[in-house]
Amino acid sequence: MFPTAMRWLPLVALALPPACAAAGDHAGLAIYREHCERCHGEGGKGTADVPQPLVGDRSVAQLARYIDETMPEDDPEAVIGDAARQVAEYVHGSFYSPVARDRNRPAREELSRLTVRQFKNTIADLLGSFRGHGPGIDDRRGLLAEYFCHRDFNHDVGLVYERVDPAIDFDFGIEGPDPERFEPNRFAIRWTGSIVPPETGVYEFVVRTGHAVRLRLNDDLGEPPLVDGWVKSGDETEYRGVRRLLGGRAYPLALEFSKANQGVDNKKHEQLSHASIQLLWKPPHGVLEVVPSHRLIPQQGPPTFVVATPFPPDDRSIGYDRGSAVSKEWFAAAMAAAVETADHVLDRVEHFAGVRRDAPDRDGKLRAFAKSFIERAFRRPLDDHSRQVYLERPFADAPDADTGLKRAILLALSSPRFLFREPAGSADGFATAARLSFGLWDSLPDPPLLQAAAQNRLATPDEIRRAAERMVADRRTRSKLRDFFFGWLRVDHGPELVKDAIHYSEFSPELAAELRASLELFLEDVLWRDGADWRRLFLEDAVPVNGRIAPLYGLSMPFDSGFHPVRLDDGRRAGVLTHPYMMSVLAYSGATSPIHRGVFLARNVLGNVLKPPQEAVAPLAPDLHPLLSTRERVELQTSDVSCQTCHTMINPLGFTLEQFDAIGRFRTSEIRGEARKPIDASGSYQPREGDEETFHGARELAAYLARSRDAQEAFVQSLFHALVKQPVRAWGPETLAKLRAGFEAGSFDIRRLMVDIVVLSASPPPRSVP
Amino acid sequence: MIPRREFLRSLGASSALLPFLGNLPSLSAAATGPKKRLVIVFSPDGIVRKTFWPESPGSFLTPGPVRVPALPPILEPLAEFQDRLLVLKGVHNQILGDGDKHMRGIGCLLTGIELFPGNIQGGGETPAGWSSGLSIDQELRNFLQANPATASRFGSLEFGVLVPNRADTWTRMVYAGPNKPIAPIDDPYEMFQKLYGGQKDRESMQSVLDELSEDLAKLSAALPAEDRRLLEEHAALVRDFEKELSSHHEAVAHAVPVLEQGVVEQNDQMPRISRMQIELVVAALAGDFARVATLQYTNSVGQPHMKWLGIEQGQHDLSHEPNSNAAAQEKLTKINAWYAGEVAHLARRLAETPEPGGDGSLLDHTTILWMNELGEGNSHSHEDIPFVLVGGGLGFKTGRSVQLPGVSHNRLLLSLAHAMGHTGLVRFGNPDYCGEGPLGLS
Repeated sequence: MFPTAMRWLPLVALALPPACAAAGDHAGLAIYREHCERCHGEGGKGTADVPQPLVGDRSVAQLARYIDETMPEDDPEAVIGDAARQVAEYVHGSFYSPVARDRNRPAREELSRLTVRQFKNTIADLLGSFRGHGPGIDDRRGLLAEYFCHRDFNHDVGLVYERVDPAIDFDFGIEGPDPERFEPNRFAIRWTGSIVPPETGVYEFVVRTGHAVRLRLNDDLGEPPLVDGWVKSGDETEYRGVRRLLGGRAYPLALEFSKANQGVDNKKHEQLSHASIQLLWKPPHGVLEVVPSHRLIPQQGPPTFVVATPFPPDDRSIGYDRGSAVSKEWFAAAMAAAVETADHVLDRVEHFAGVRRDAPDRDGKLRAFAKSFIERAFRRPLDDHSRQVYLERPFADAPDADTGLKRAILLALSSPRFLFREPAGSADGFATAARLSFGLWDSLPDPPLLQAAAQNRLATPDEIRRAAERMVADRRTRSKLRDFFFGWLRVDHGPELVKDAIHYSEFSPELAAELRASLELFLEDVLWRDGADWRRLFLEDAVPVNGRIAPLYGLSMPFDSGFHPVRLDDGRRAGVLTHPYMMSVLAYSGATSPIHRGVFLARNVLGNVLKPPQEAVAPLAPDLHPLLSTRERVELQTSDVSCQTCHTMINPLGFTLEQFDAIGRFRTSEIRGEARKPIDASGSYQPREGDEETFHGARELAAYLARSRDAQEAFVQSLFHALVKQPVRAWGPETLAKLRAGFEAGSFDIRRLMVDIVVLSASPPPRSVP
Repeated sequence: MIPRREFLRSLGASSALLPFLGNLPSLSAAATGPKKRLVIVFSPDGIVRKTFWPESPGSFLTPGPVRVPALPPILEPLAEFQDRLLVLKGVHNQILGDGDKHMRGIGCLLTGIELFPGNIQGGGETPAGWSSGLSIDQELRNFLQANPATASRFGSLEFGVLVPNRADTWTRMVYAGPNKPIAPIDDPYEMFQKLYGGQKDRESMQSVLDELSEDLAKLSAALPAEDRRLLEEHAALVRDFEKELSSHHEAVAHAVPVLEQGVVEQNDQMPRISRMQIELVVAALAGDFARVATLQYTNSVGQPHMKWLGIEQGQHDLSHEPNSNAAAQEKLTKINAWYAGEVAHLARRLAETPEPGGDGSLLDHTTILWMNELGEGNSHSHEDIPFVLVGGGLGFKTGRSVQLPGVSHNRLLLSLAHAMGHTGLVRFGNPDYCGEGPLGLS
């Protein structure tokens, strides 16, 4: 649709303001000014002569033809051919087309429904609010283990000792854990604690043992254990089960193991045998592995209800998930999830409502429970109207109180008061509470927050800030921030990392999973240690390494040693920029990809808008140009003038990371043809303001990024959008600059920035003037 | 077999409605002839031989040279169905291997194959695990579900009455395959939810969506104009969904059972729970939710205390008393007669219910098989397992007691399969016990 010369237009433009100057220097603009503006007005707004705005839904080609034939009305020959086409492109892209009009609308806080993530979190926390807290956050890892010299778990008779085991991967041989204290055929172990999965998804769990075993993992009341191998039967030694888990939460786990015959207590048929046990998992983007110690904690809380109903994905077209549209599929999923949730509650109504099946005051208790449920779902107390609609009528119309409760729950969960976020302009304490909790947790306010709202303790900025600071220290904040970072780093989809088997024979899916875990731990360390200094993301030269990763980077460590931060390559590492997982993802299977790395830096880190090339371009195969270095090959491929507008920015950024190969190892040369070619890692960047910056290698790039205003602004904006899910401009044109300045003044503390953002967005923006 | 989801889609029901839909609409029943159904009832701990077995084989009905045997005390409650009664003596559970007699009694009863070796130590013998094969009801279920003409919503349903909440060899009778025991549902409310939850949800949903439209209008009026569009779209979705729900309304042809509320699962409620489950069995068959059902009273080694009969001791404890203990024999007779009464009640309810779209009653098209894991409790005998059949579903010749020459019970399992139309099944369970194939019972 664009003429050849414009193929990759508009290529590079400033991210801010978003209605970017895409067409600012467009040839069509000059033509428009000369021939069109006197009637259609500036930006097509119209004039006294032609008052209608210049808007419509013709395509560029249609518009060009129309202009060619009819415009300007007094001299249709004045704008024809290429000129007509250029002006049509300008008009279409700047203000004529529906897309352009949408882009030009003043930013405002828009009514949104809950995103899928928010919906699932909200349901989990809504039910969870009736059953007490999960474990707090501390440094303890592993599971609490109780060892019994008996075949079951009787504390009074058989408990020998308690300890914390880092992971479940034991081979007790024939003699058992300790021949002095346990009979080889008669011991039992119970491990308890919680599992904290990093991300949301389906986890497969595997228990391997030849003896009686039972695994409970987030089983709710009345649900069978995830794995029930208490009856050992035939040669079964491996038991599997899957659980859908929301990332970052602590799920109660109990693993019971007994090396003894069950049933009738009779030693006659006991035989000496080998005993071992392993607890493994396969995370959504991982491989089957022993559940690592850093995902286990020895404390325990109540189970969490996880909605199983599948939802269509949210709109992510502008870089963050948002609930800007409703669809039939989404509504049907929400309804099915409402039924699923209501069933879950009704099946355990004795527990949730605190009432027995045959209790005399059952009706009253169910009604009281329904009232709390609806109020928590709506994030505010019921007024008279809502009370009638959502509580009184469902109970009055139902044949019995159980059905009444079910209908009340279904009704509440189908209501826009639950499904939609607080509408624009709502500004009382309850709206503030919800803005805070959705901002930091993607979930509804917890009881303390609702209480603060009810007592009018969320009125001043200080009060709001104190509430936000409390809320930052919560697993849900960690989870939300973790997911933001994985999105920002473009690793949220967990690419299938496959590397060339000849060049990178050391690489394997297992290793890729370890590298991903290393990145997780690196981010956790930056975000949740003191300071949460954003600059460490670039400047930190230590990488979390364990025994499996170590050999790849020339370190010697015991194979089974856990993760420790290690300063690799004599300090040449630069945080996420050179993290082996990032370098492996931003590369081809057999070679680096300066373009992928450059696009990541230009777009995600520095916040520039890059349009994709109009045509998909296959990379030049390294073998076609065996004598060229990777850098030279990329330069050759992107030498076309139509490529250059973007690639003058992309390539010099990507080249700075050339010292890290396709699996993230440091190198100073690469083998091309028969020879070793030295790596040229020099690069540059032209910021949106000021002079061009030049640097050599990752460390110099990192040093620049850590002080780059472009990078700071881009980060602040990305984080704002991820947290608030509304355009930052809706809070005024200066907001972003103010937040950035505050970020700098606060030593780039990411947690403090988060608080600043949610405090700011906890008040609705001033109403924009159309 | 057509997956339910796919099948519904072919009928035009969107996946959104799946949680709210009840029974699968049946395919033309007429095309395949009358329906055949099987209900298997289990009660534990053996019977009292003296008060269970008819004195001699023969017809319960025919006058003339063959003497009409009166029904013995345990079977007495079935007197009203004696013309549809078939009592089989001389059928043995000959499966050996690991596991005590109670374990093999229940675990091999419907599977006809050995238990795997394992870690469950019984009262004697070597420890065992689960059955190494599937049970005949599941074999039949798979057979029926594979053919759209005989497929039903669930294929089979597994009912229980006070089955202990632990999964081991003594509590499981039904197997989907080797090492795949199926837990019976012994909470009638849970079973009701499984059978009718979708329909009730649809009713609830319809009432809910009605209420919602009003509040949507109110909310919409309070919003800024720019935001109204989204809420209006939402309101339209609510209306469409409501329409779709009502257009897929399928009237359930049979009366939905009304369960007494507030019944707690405990020993003393056993009679009530039994009757609730029987109502659900009858309704499920009437609605063609399944063609095969099992109803498991307690478990092997079951220990109900039948206080409502004036018996304080547990059944299993009583079953270990020697035959010389007349009081125990009398109590065990009463206990087993109680089970017979429940079987009779099931038969009565089936007889009272007309066959939907066909002739006669449900009982005319259903066979009940009542059985036990032991022939006799105190001897733990696997000989003369008490097999009692009631009803006309399988076309067996009824109104009689038959003495068989000590045959393996695998052959009875084969007879059930053949009578249900699964005539391609040549062997079932351990083939060594299948002898000359199905018993001739027609």
